[in-house]
Amino acid sequence: MTETETMTPAARTYFLWTAVFMGVYVALNTAAIFGLFDLLHGPARWALAMAVTIPILGHIWAVLGFIRQSDEFVGPLTARRFIVAAGIAMGALSAWGFAESYADARHLPGWMIYPAFWAAFGLASVVVKDTKR
Amino acid sequence: MINNLRAIRTAAGMTQAELAAKVGVSRQAIIAVEADQHDPSLALAYKLSSLFGLPVEDIFPNPNTPNPIA
Repeated sequence: MTETETMTPAARTYFLWTAVFMGVYVALNTAAIFGLFDLLHGPARWALAMAVTIPILGHIWAVLGFIRQSDEFVGPLTARRFIVAAGIAMGALSAWGFAESYADARHLPGWMIYPAFWAAFGLASVVVKDTKR
Repeated sequence: MINNLRAIRTAAGMTQAELAAKVGVSRQAIIAVEADQHDPSLALAYKLSSLFGLPVEDIFPNPNTPNPIA
């Protein structure tokens, strides 16, 4: 999110929490993919689904913390990119959902919204470079 | 906001990183102000004014006055 050579305390905190939450996210999904939770049934499967969601909520919390703790330029710039990315991701996934309903497009799981959001954030970072109106 | 910050900073022999550290913002913020990608807060404008010993309007000419970059 910011250059490592001039990493601010806000950026350091963000990268630390991102490593923690994404580590848990990858570990849980990897374990699930390799069948570690195959014996779970009923409510336990719901618990697994929620457990994988918690790191995503945690990462969003870390991003919001980064925005809050950053200075008067980096904070609003990140917030602006966040809003643009959310709009792009919601629009794109809504369009795909309607394509599934009306045009027999291949089904995309709902969790794709988060990687789609970050792909959109990358795009927004190229386009949104100032904090001016 | 069009400004004279880059010229004033270089005349003072200061890097963007040094200036950022002195006024408590990121180097990106100084780059953005100099490139007219960010309008500084009044608090930051006053810090810059105090640091360089110049009136705020010498660094950030008032766009509402005639010929602001004179």
